[in-house]
Amino acid sequence: MLDVKSQYNMMKIKPNKKSIWKRMWHYKFIYLFILPALIWYFIFMYVPMYGISLAFKELRFDKGYLGSPWVGTFYFMQFINYPDFWKLIYNTFAISGLKILFGFPAPIMLALMLNEIKKTSFKRVIQTVSYLPYFVSWVVVIALFSKFLTPNGGAVNDAKIALFGGEPIFFLNEKAFFYPLVILTDIWKNVGWSSIIYLAALSNVSLELYEAAMMDGAGKIKSMLHITLPSLAPTITIMFILTIGTLMRAGIDQIYLLQNPGVLDIAEILDTHVVKQGLIRGQYSYATAVGLFQSIVCLIIVMITNTVSKKVSDVSLW
Amino acid sequence: MSIIYETRSQKIFKVFNYCILTLFGLSTIYPFYYFFILSFNDGLDAMKGGIYFLPRVFTLDNYFKAFQNPNIINSFSISIFRTVVGTLISLILTSILAYGLTKKDLPFRRGIIFYFFFTTVFSGGLIPFYILLRDLHLTKSIWIYIVPYLFVFLYMIIMRTFFEAIPIELSEAAIIDGCDDIQIYWKIYLPLSLPVMATIALFYGVMHWNDWFTGVFYVANKKMIPSSTLLQLLMTEATFEESGGAGHEMMGLRVSNTTPEALRMTFLVITTLPIVCVYPFFQKFFVKGVMVGSVKG
Repeated sequence: MLDVKSQYNMMKIKPNKKSIWKRMWHYKFIYLFILPALIWYFIFMYVPMYGISLAFKELRFDKGYLGSPWVGTFYFMQFINYPDFWKLIYNTFAISGLKILFGFPAPIMLALMLNEIKKTSFKRVIQTVSYLPYFVSWVVVIALFSKFLTPNGGAVNDAKIALFGGEPIFFLNEKAFFYPLVILTDIWKNVGWSSIIYLAALSNVSLELYEAAMMDGAGKIKSMLHITLPSLAPTITIMFILTIGTLMRAGIDQIYLLQNPGVLDIAEILDTHVVKQGLIRGQYSYATAVGLFQSIVCLIIVMITNTVSKKVSDVSLW
Repeated sequence: MSIIYETRSQKIFKVFNYCILTLFGLSTIYPFYYFFILSFNDGLDAMKGGIYFLPRVFTLDNYFKAFQNPNIINSFSISIFRTVVGTLISLILTSILAYGLTKKDLPFRRGIIFYFFFTTVFSGGLIPFYILLRDLHLTKSIWIYIVPYLFVFLYMIIMRTFFEAIPIELSEAAIIDGCDDIQIYWKIYLPLSLPVMATIALFYGVMHWNDWFTGVFYVANKKMIPSSTLLQLLMTEATFEESGGAGHEMMGLRVSNTTPEALRMTFLVITTLPIVCVYPFFQKFFVKGVMVGSVKG
């Protein structure tokens, strides 16, 4: 005979005996709520996934999409044998890699710095102002930078000539400046917004931990290493997994807008290649093959990163 | 309460911190301010350069010209239409979806969530998407700016997390009173959700307002473009015929000094100003929203 408490607990457990159909009927309105999204995702997300098969077909307008003949890996071979194939891969990885290298730590540092500010009014003003570039479009951002960097009376060149003399520099056209510009504009645009997540995580760290550490004689650096960074570790890991997923997509908006003949050699990435060959020149099958290549590599990278992260720590996307 | 003394190095660090952050803050505002003052400056005078803090030759001419330009007006009406209508529809559909997904014992719930989630790690790509839009005849319709962009997975998660924080006792009480799910959503969850609704409305709104890509690549009719697309086209054009080139002459008399460059600046300011004015008011909401949505989601 079990004691009173256990008997009571046993009585509280009521397994849901309703059959699955009864439960679905019980939730009929909920399914109604979900239905539009189910339909929309099917049409605009999953149907295009089926459309990937276009990469294996030679699109004939007279035969329509379904009737077009199967050509297998013809367009993939065409892509791999494309003269600039390796250059495209290199450019894409270089740009997204550099963006991650410099752009990933930047919001963390900003969050750490803002976290140190005790004057809340200053902190809030800086935060508000830091989101501004995030909320405007890339067209605006690049227009701003172009105006500042132009050799015809751009502020940067004016300052440079005033201080150092010489000729104005055509920043946007120079290959040497292109990657730094891409990284700089990307950081400028996103650092404020991305720091929100880290600031939120930081605000969850109890002040007592810092005080206790200070009592034990820990300096700023030590407390940052042993308290702050470990508390941020889960957030950083998740954000990193999500960011790694963008390794194959170096930023179509930004790169397309920054491209010009002077830098095309190092500025052509997979995304712009798809846009130019596919949307502009109408090589649909080929461009679909390139896009598929991107998507698959992306997926593999994300899956690997997620698995590694699961093994190394408790943190993962799924 | 313990008194913590600041060492010399801590003081230096603090000053350094404030300086860097101030510089950073200025670097985000100044470019916008620069365009702002230039838009109020006479176009021909601005070509001489050297204006950094205040307009040298103040004029409202650029704005007059901008608002008289039919392309600009037309693009704004399209932008406003898609932002208002698109955001409204997305808000309604996303919120009912989010509410539906709060029900933890909904049959097939995990499958449904994975069905949505999977689209964030794998997609069909740009070309199949475009071909789909064409086959649906959307590329000829104004609805191309709205229909393909109805849902964003992240925003749905943020809403759902917020809904899950609403005490379940409220809906249990409503059930006892005989309400069905639709009424629970409408009468209880919706009124309590103003902060998250405002946040997500801002997110969808900004997405619509700033999207320039659709108008450039998916739309055939160049008369049907939103302001962001028009801005992009203007920025890459060497000349801007409608404004009459450098200054505008009529019967030998200078009618206006609005240069193409000045018009570009003015247009940029007009396009950007709504967002700049609006987002600070939502800051409290979206900071909380992102925090809640990502920590739990």
